[in-house]
Amino acid sequence: FLEGFGSLMQDVLWCFSQVKGTIDIGVTEADIISTVEFNHTGELLATGDKGGRVVIFQREQESKNQPHRRGEYNVYSTFQSHEPEFDYLKSLEIEEKINKIRWLPQQNAAYFLLSTNDKTVKLWKVSERDKRPEGYNLKDEDGRLRDPSMITMLRVPVLRPMDLMVEATPRRVFANAHTYHINSISVNSDYETYMSADDLRINLWNFEITNQSFNIVDIKPANMEELTEVITAAEFHPHHCNTFVYSSSKGTIRLCDMRTAALCDRHAKFFEEPEDPSNRSFFSEIISSISDVKFSHSGRYIMTRDYLTVKVWDLNMENRPIETYQVHDYLRSKLCSLYENDCIFDKFECVWNGSDSVIMTGSYNNFFRMFDRNTKRDVTLEASRENSKPRAILKPRKVCVGGKRRKDEISVDSLDFSKKILHTAWHPSENIIAVAATNNLYIFQDKVN
Amino acid sequence: MLGRGLKRKLSDYEENMAGLSSAFDSSRSLPYPLKRQLVLNMCLTKLQTYKMLVEPNLHRSVLIANTVRQIQEEMRQESNQQPVNICPGIAPSSHSYTGIESSGISLQLPSGISQQESNCCDLRSVEDPIENSLLIVSDDDMSSAISSILKDLDFVEDISPPTCLVPTGDDQPKFPENTVLKLEDDRQDSKGAECVFGSFEISNSTSYLKDLAIDDIFEDIDTSMYDSDFCCPPLMPPRSPSLATEEPLKTFPSCNSSSANNIQICRTDLSELDHIMEILVGS
Repeated sequence: FLEGFGSLMQDVLWCFSQVKGTIDIGVTEADIISTVEFNHTGELLATGDKGGRVVIFQREQESKNQPHRRGEYNVYSTFQSHEPEFDYLKSLEIEEKINKIRWLPQQNAAYFLLSTNDKTVKLWKVSERDKRPEGYNLKDEDGRLRDPSMITMLRVPVLRPMDLMVEATPRRVFANAHTYHINSISVNSDYETYMSADDLRINLWNFEITNQSFNIVDIKPANMEELTEVITAAEFHPHHCNTFVYSSSKGTIRLCDMRTAALCDRHAKFFEEPEDPSNRSFFSEIISSISDVKFSHSGRYIMTRDYLTVKVWDLNMENRPIETYQVHDYLRSKLCSLYENDCIFDKFECVWNGSDSVIMTGSYNNFFRMFDRNTKRDVTLEASRENSKPRAILKPRKVCVGGKRRKDEISVDSLDFSKKILHTAWHPSENIIAVAATNNLYIFQDKVN
Repeated sequence: MLGRGLKRKLSDYEENMAGLSSAFDSSRSLPYPLKRQLVLNMCLTKLQTYKMLVEPNLHRSVLIANTVRQIQEEMRQESNQQPVNICPGIAPSSHSYTGIESSGISLQLPSGISQQESNCCDLRSVEDPIENSLLIVSDDDMSSAISSILKDLDFVEDISPPTCLVPTGDDQPKFPENTVLKLEDDRQDSKGAECVFGSFEISNSTSYLKDLAIDDIFEDIDTSMYDSDFCCPPLMPPRSPSLATEEPLKTFPSCNSSSANNIQICRTDLSELDHIMEILVGS
């Protein structure tokens, strides 16, 4: 851990470190990054894209020769996790887009991660091979079979070093358990189970068993016409393996305890903030829909993201959040236009830093925002190629709401709503962040003082 | 602006909508009923678009349906507080606005009721571009639109049947019986609403939503050959059989072909169907 980690915002200067992806003007749909996740040590960084591919970056060892250049992330493994499928029964195409990736904690030399599309979760093993056996008896060096009658002596194959090869193999496929689209997966702290959540149901899996799962939440009404609420995100508590939360499209969060019943219909806690009547509009419900929910590392708080705000809730207080941060309140007066072009349905994610002192979320125009919970300072930064000189310090950005626009400010009407930052990730212990901007992955680090 | 009777192109419509929604956002003098109508129409348009998709997005559909219901409820409350006599050409009187305010929703009302009335008189003007593009939709149509969308979202082959019918959480919908009753009440209310709004209707384009029958999903599937009494007659097809089997796809009737054509090629099509099914199923 760095000394003074989680220090005041003003002491942290974010610098450009790397960018991955092409600079082409026309973006291939398949290259659009749909999820980003560091592993538990921060050594690996995984991205999933719309084309069903997973790319894993590994941080290189820090070199004594270049202390300023903290370990860079380079491609470690690339594999096709999900393929497009066709459901013949319902005549539906199943998208191969990777919705979420979650790492398992490392227990041996291999790395394990879960990746999911709308319907199927897969457990992938990523392992290194740097030796290979030589001296087979029944095969020659090219792999051709030898004639057994020609063999006159036996030898024991030996392992010889080879160029490092990283292979990814699917170890488990958890399929056919979701009628609706999977929006979340979460690994339990017992490391034996995990859950997958779709619009109406949440299932609990054991890693070893693929043909069975327990349904632990089901909010599907008997009559679909009565449906007014869907599940939008779910996550296990980081320490208590019996506890999880799930958020809804009505802006509520339910905390459930699996010890109370097999089917967790009845929540143990129900988090909802009463509506502010002065902010009421036709779009109030739509913008209250929670797009992401994350436990703090400590397990004491949960953070939720809705269209315009990020909220921090104390698990012990259900009637309102303890903190509310405005991400881009200037959009409040543009809701009708944003509804018309469907931007109002964009699902932004949010993340905690390692010490739970700073939270980060994305916005439009390739802007992303950080809020320091202690100092209450916030900053808006931009992920763009223009600011991509090595170790260039990111300049804070500002959106001008009305009246005179200062030189470096940008007006609300000039924002590019096609450039949205939905997915970000924060290194578990250091000030390194990964920001996905459409088909590019930006990595920023704080300036080494 | 376009005169009546001319079909608007989709791109024009989209531009119009974009213009309308930015008008909604920027204009403070847009009367509330107009804003509400605009939002309602946008919702219904979206729902209709989703209906045409093979797999509509459940999350969005639910959010939009809830918004429609909310507006519907508001309009219903408004109509319930209306005085019975309405002067044609004058908007709902100020009574309705107090009704809205009392239900705890604060609005950006234009200053002064008299201005409100004059604005509403302007609504009757044919040349008003905003007014021309808005359609008054009946309550009935809205309810049925929402119901049919949500019903369609209920997949036939649901994998995990619900283990119990106990609603989760405090705000879950009531038991089915109550809901059925509520729907019936709604329909009676909506008839009342229709009468009230009857004189207020700007255009009679309620067919906008009446076209949203579930059967429309199957419009592009030509079933006329199965309807025909002449099915499988001993007729020789116009083309030679060998040619027909070589080009099964080409001889397959187009979507909206008339039944007369179907009778002639009825026989060959059945075997071609089998052939195509084999290919699709991949046996």
